[in-house]
Amino acid sequence: MVLHAKIRSWLTILGIVIGVAAVISIVSMGEALQQDMTSQLGDLGGDILTLTAGASKAQGFGPGRDKSGGGSATASEEEVVVDKTDLQVLKGISDIKLLDTQIKGSADVYYVAEKGSVNVNGVDPATWSQITTSEIAEGRMLGPSDSNVVVVGGKIANGFFDKNLGVNQLITIEDKLFRIIGVLDDTSTSIYMPINAAYEILEDKEKGVYDSIVIQIKDEDQLEQAIDNIESKLLISRHVTSDKKDFTINSNAQSNEARAEMMGSMTTFLTAIAAVALLVGAVGIANTMFTSVLEKTKEIGIMKAIGARNNDIMTIFLLNAALIGLIGGLLGVVFGFMLSGVLPALMGDSGGIMGRMTSAGSVISLSSVFLALGMSVFIGIISGVVPAYQASRLKPVDALRYE
Amino acid sequence: MRQNSTILRLQNVSKIYQMGEVEVPALKNVTVDINKGDFVAIIGASGSGKSTMMNLIGCLDLPTEGNILLKDQNITRLSESDLASLRGKTIGFIFQQYNLIPSITAFENVLLPMEFQEIGDNEANQRVKKILEIVGLTDKGHHLPTQLSGGQQQRVSIARSLATDPEIILADEPTGALDSVTGKQVMEMLTNLWKEGKTIIMVTHDLNLAKYAHTTIELKDGQIIKINKRLR
Repeated sequence: MVLHAKIRSWLTILGIVIGVAAVISIVSMGEALQQDMTSQLGDLGGDILTLTAGASKAQGFGPGRDKSGGGSATASEEEVVVDKTDLQVLKGISDIKLLDTQIKGSADVYYVAEKGSVNVNGVDPATWSQITTSEIAEGRMLGPSDSNVVVVGGKIANGFFDKNLGVNQLITIEDKLFRIIGVLDDTSTSIYMPINAAYEILEDKEKGVYDSIVIQIKDEDQLEQAIDNIESKLLISRHVTSDKKDFTINSNAQSNEARAEMMGSMTTFLTAIAAVALLVGAVGIANTMFTSVLEKTKEIGIMKAIGARNNDIMTIFLLNAALIGLIGGLLGVVFGFMLSGVLPALMGDSGGIMGRMTSAGSVISLSSVFLALGMSVFIGIISGVVPAYQASRLKPVDALRYE
Repeated sequence: MRQNSTILRLQNVSKIYQMGEVEVPALKNVTVDINKGDFVAIIGASGSGKSTMMNLIGCLDLPTEGNILLKDQNITRLSESDLASLRGKTIGFIFQQYNLIPSITAFENVLLPMEFQEIGDNEANQRVKKILEIVGLTDKGHHLPTQLSGGQQQRVSIARSLATDPEIILADEPTGALDSVTGKQVMEMLTNLWKEGKTIIMVTHDLNLAKYAHTTIELKDGQIIKINKRLR
C-alpha cells in the first residue's frame, strides 16, 4: 500500500518526518545544552561563592550597611553595599581560602584613532588569577604588583578594532594609558585591571565599596556549611536578621543547577511543541489509512474471499501504518540530525537562553534516536488501529460489491 | 470413478435483504444437495437469485433462515475466522471481472491464498510455478494484471482459485468478460479441472455455457424451479 499509493503515502510520511525531525533536533540541542552546563559546572568549580549587596528576590531589605558605614535604623532608605568592613569579616572566616574584590562598569577605550565601549572589571590583582576560570591565550594574568596594566578579552584583541591588539601594546581607557599584559582565551569584550586603577576609571564607584566579593572556600564538600557560616557572620556584622538579610551569596554550583533546570524546562517545552507536529503527522496517517480502506474495499473483499481472516486484514493495515511511521521516523532522524547541525549556525550569536542553546551545539544520543523511531512506529500503529479494525470488519459480500 | 457423497447441502435456505423498511426476499426456502465431483450450473434470468445463491454457497454471506452444510460443517454456526479458513481451504473463486489485486504481480496474486493458509514459502512458490504452468502463463508471472489481456487475467484468476488445492471451484460468469474463443478455452480448462476431480459450481445466465455442466439448477424469483441431471 505504501509503495503503491506513492504521493499520498509520501505526503503522510512527510508529516511524520517533520514531527520527528523537530523532536530530534530540539532534544539533541537540549541534551547538548545540559552537557555544556554540566561541563561548565565542573570548569567553574563548585568552591566559588559571590557576595553581592541586596537581598535575593525572596527577601526584603533590612537596615543593612549603607555607604556611610555602620548600620542604622534609617539605612533602609540608603543604598545597601558591600564594603571593606565585609571584607574584613570575611578575612576572619576560616572556611575561606581566597577573596577577590570586584567592581564593574563600562568605559570608553581608544586605540589609534578608534573608539569603543567596553566592560571594565576591577579585580584584586593578587587573587584574581587564582580564582577566575578564564584562561590566558597570550601573555600573563594580573599580578600583585601590577598597577596600570590590563588583561583584555579575546574579542577586544581580535576584531574589536581594525588592527588587532597584542601583549605590550598601549590602549587608552577613558583618559588613562594602560599596557596590555595578557589576552584571554575567550570571545568577551571585557577588560580586567587592578581594582585601584578601576576606581580611577569608573568615577561613580566609591573606593572601599565593591560590586561583589568573589570567595573561594577551602573545601568544596563543605559548601553548605561554609555558606551558613559566612551568612551568620555577615548577619551579625551588618546588624540584620536572617529574614531581613540585605546581602546575597550565590554559589556557582547552585546557580548553574538552577540554570540547567531552567534549560531542561525550556527543552521540555520546545519538545512539547515539536510533539504537536508529530501529533499532526499521526492524524495524517489515520486520514491516509481511512482513505486507503475506502479505496481498497474491493481488494479487502477479494482477500476475504480467498481466505483472509479478519486478523489478516487487520495485520496488513496495521503493518502499513507502522511502515509509514517507521519510514517517517527514519527519515525524520536523518533530517533531525542534519537540522540540529545546521540550526545553531542559523540561529547565529543570539543572546540569552537561545544563545546558550546555539553555542552548545547538538548531541544526538542513541537513546533519543531509538525513542523517536519507537514513537513514530507506535504513532503509526495507533493511528492505524481504527481504520484497520474498520477494514477487518467488512463483510466479504459487501466489500466485493463495492465499486 | 466418481464419488457421490454430498459436499454441499442447502437446507430450507432463505435470504432476505433489508432495504430500509422494505424486506426483499432474494432466495426462498431453497433445498439442494451438490455432490463431490459434480459440475453444476446455476442458471436463471437476472434477479432470479443466482448471485445470492453463489454468495451463500461460497460462504461469503450467511442465510437469513435455513442451514448450509459444507463438508458436513454448518457454516451458519462457524465464527468469522473459522469460516474464512474453511472458505480458503475448500473453495476457489473465479469471478467474471477476474478480481485480481492490481498492485501485485500475477505470481503474487496466485501466491496470496497460500499466504493466508500459512503454507511455507518454498512449497508455495513451487506450487505457484506449477499452477502457472498448468494455465499456460509460466512467462507472465512477473506481469501486473493490467499488463495482461482479459483471457490471461482470467487464467491467473483460475490459477489463484487452484492455489490451495480446493475441492470446490466456484465460478461466477467465468466467460462473461471474454470473447468467444477465449471463453471456450476457459471452459475447457474448467472441464479439465472437473475431470481431475474438482467439484465445479458455475453461475451463469448463458445456456450455452450451462451445457458444459452435468447438473443444471434453474432459479426463478428466488426459488429452484428445475434441477436437471445429465448422464455422464
